[in-house]
Amino acid sequence: MTSQSSPATPSKRFSQASIRRRRATFFTAVLITLIAGLWLMGHSLGRNGLNGLEIAMLAVFTPLFYQLSTGFWTAIIGLAVSRKSDPLNLLNTLSDEDKAAPLSASTAIIMPVYNEDVSRIFEGLRVIYQSLQQEGQLPHFDFFVLSDSDNPNKWVEEELAWLELCRQLDGFGRIFYRKRRKPINRKSGNVSDFCRRWGKRYRYMVVLDADSIMSGSLLTNMVRIMEKHPAAGIIQTAPRVFGAETLFGRVMQFAHAAYGEPFMAGLNYLSMGNATFWGHNAIIRLKPFIEDCALPELPGREPFGGHILSHDFVESALMQKAGHQVWLLPVDEGSYEEGPPTLLDTLKRDRRWCQGNMQHFWLLFARGWNALARLNFFHGILSYVASPLWFAFLILATILAAMPGPSSLAIDKGFSSGLVLLFLTLGLLFVPKLLLLIRQLSRKDLARHFHSRRALLSSVLLDTIFFSILAPILMVFHSKFVIFTLLGKGVRWAEQRRKADGAVDWQESIVTFTGITIMAALWGLIAFWCSPTFAAWISPVLIGIGLAIPFSIFTAGLPSGRRRGWFSTLEELHPPPVIGELQHHLSKAHQRSDPSPALARNYGLMQAILDPFVNALHVSLLRQRQRLTPESRDYLDRLRKRLIREGPQSLNKRELSALMYDPDVMIRLHYDLWSAPAGDLAPWWDSAIRQYNILTREPVTALYR
Amino acid sequence: MDSIRIDFAPQTGTADEWNEAYARLSDYFRAHRLHSRVHRTYLILETLKRASETHARHPNVSPTEVAIHEARRMQRAWLRNIIGDLNIPEGRLDASGRMAFLLSGGPSTYPEYFLAADSPPQEMVDAMRQPIIQSGPDLAFSSMVPRPIDLGPISDIAEDAGGFFDRHPLLRYALLASLSALVLWGVYTVTR
Repeated sequence: MTSQSSPATPSKRFSQASIRRRRATFFTAVLITLIAGLWLMGHSLGRNGLNGLEIAMLAVFTPLFYQLSTGFWTAIIGLAVSRKSDPLNLLNTLSDEDKAAPLSASTAIIMPVYNEDVSRIFEGLRVIYQSLQQEGQLPHFDFFVLSDSDNPNKWVEEELAWLELCRQLDGFGRIFYRKRRKPINRKSGNVSDFCRRWGKRYRYMVVLDADSIMSGSLLTNMVRIMEKHPAAGIIQTAPRVFGAETLFGRVMQFAHAAYGEPFMAGLNYLSMGNATFWGHNAIIRLKPFIEDCALPELPGREPFGGHILSHDFVESALMQKAGHQVWLLPVDEGSYEEGPPTLLDTLKRDRRWCQGNMQHFWLLFARGWNALARLNFFHGILSYVASPLWFAFLILATILAAMPGPSSLAIDKGFSSGLVLLFLTLGLLFVPKLLLLIRQLSRKDLARHFHSRRALLSSVLLDTIFFSILAPILMVFHSKFVIFTLLGKGVRWAEQRRKADGAVDWQESIVTFTGITIMAALWGLIAFWCSPTFAAWISPVLIGIGLAIPFSIFTAGLPSGRRRGWFSTLEELHPPPVIGELQHHLSKAHQRSDPSPALARNYGLMQAILDPFVNALHVSLLRQRQRLTPESRDYLDRLRKRLIREGPQSLNKRELSALMYDPDVMIRLHYDLWSAPAGDLAPWWDSAIRQYNILTREPVTALYR
Repeated sequence: MDSIRIDFAPQTGTADEWNEAYARLSDYFRAHRLHSRVHRTYLILETLKRASETHARHPNVSPTEVAIHEARRMQRAWLRNIIGDLNIPEGRLDASGRMAFLLSGGPSTYPEYFLAADSPPQEMVDAMRQPIIQSGPDLAFSSMVPRPIDLGPISDIAEDAGGFFDRHPLLRYALLASLSALVLWGVYTVTR
């Protein structure tokens, strides 16, 4: 496909007119709501004419209210659309004949990984593999685990798990493992590396995250959709969230299940063939991806320049620029992912995403994007910039309240515009939720999805409280992330420590949230000093921020209302086969005993050197090195001797990696260690040799021996 | 009771050293997933016997080292008989052979044939001679060259400005201070 060509749309129902009509409807609704909000705000603030502060408030209020209106209309339109089968949902374009036709295209399912839970990666692959096998479509799919793991333990564990999985599924020649020596350009570089090496062998590529699961049936249908719609370059599914154990994770999972579907339908209504790509659980047409979607470096240094971090949005825009479509596929089964388990994990993830989305600022003004792609960049930026804007709005409101004279924010004086605005805002926030609740309550299969009517009502009530506390905390942290990104600084985190029973160490929460708790207390005092009415107005935000420490600790815990049926979802109550099997395998995998703490830190290295089979596997997967210079050989010899005499703790990560990447050194180390008398070995190795055969038991699950 | 004849009497090395060699060989063979104690003991004694002869010629080397060296020599000889004609580089023979033994199901199905003088069953030989492992399919290279993105005039200006301020850090701080002062003045003006 040449760049700029515009493949014809395959069906009348995808006519430009119908797409334009949809977008016009959406943006008219958003615009009317925005104008109403601005008029009310302006009227409320400007009873005595607008001063500079009030103009600033109005300026800050505009994007915030735009974001609110967009969310509201996405949900409302999505609700309307999803009541009946949407003719513009690509899945509905497949006829029975299409579904019965044999597949002719080859597809690579790739999973880029970086120091992830190895059991989860390979057990996930196992269920996808078996699901495709049950569908009878396995011959059309190959699997690639693309590892950038730089933790030697994970590296060796991945190699072993790959081998075991291939042996058990007879998957040699279908399931592949690739470890990059240099993880250039992180995930996007890893995917590009795959495309350069093997992309030509496949027509499509399905990208998965380490915590993704997809059913064979959906994967097969996605290939069929791609075959039927040659204009489609990327089809992104809307994965459902599953597998949460903590209260935080379960509330997020419930919210996704209870409210997510109409949002996705609304998003699809708006975006049609100009949707965005979220980086995983999506199928990609490889030829145009290879030809047109390679990412350039942005000019300048990080945080705004350099390697593009949030690559998926850009790849989507590049695909559209090349004349292909990017579609969202709202599905209610078959595509799944896991979410962060705690508030702290969410913030750490958001820190990365924030920097990536902020980088898109330059791309916003780049030439050649279509309007929707540009809008997607804008929405991505706004999703983080909205926080400092909200923060600024509250600061301006506090200054305004502190000013002498009647307050513009006085909604208690009987003047109606402020009150109407308040109700309008509350309506935009809560009406979609209320409508969604009514819809869920009217389901005939409510008990199957949400346990019971009572549990659903309790869950919605509790999640409203949950999100009321969470939103201000996220506002403060996202503001911090945006400002730090602008200043080119990183954000420091306390080390996350988990106790043996899985509970979170309080220290991390206390260290992370003490600052904002003090800020909320001082702000509350200032607000009360300004005006008790103002203090009441701002109190929901300040209470949320002030409760950050107990909220973080409490929601990270395992008690999550499961026994009462709170926050139940379909995936929890009646897991689909892929999830049920995954959980079954993982429960077995997690039964295995951990190595002793003394050995655990370098367990992978120990296996790769001591175990005759792991050593052989590791060496087999290494590329034969070109002839080393005498200096390099001397260097490796010195490291090898030091490793034996002083143990792995005497070498740093780089030195250990240098040894582990050399096949000759690894073979030599294997025999050196086994043949060295106890007196010549570091005590660590002596202990490892004696314990190794006790530690390595027969397999407790498919993957581990 | 009939007396027994123990056919292991090394001329060199101490009893402690040979005991250490025994323990190490036991661990080594166990690491090969040879779970039969009887078979393992037989292998250990055979290896020790050979090691004692070698040690008599090299008494300065520790019996443990000699024993593992013998085990390796036996393993290479055994592997050479099975996969020696497969053009495997000499340095990789042991590693490839171990891998082949594992993938053929050797440790669980044919443990008694490991290092045995008897000819192994044909199924085991066939399984060991199959292509070892394939971690990736044949390469089919594509050129994936980044297409430059025209970031437009704003980015050019920002880049120029960024470069200028990178070269003049004092001016950068001065601009930041001026902007802060401007904001404070603005707040003062609207609130006084």
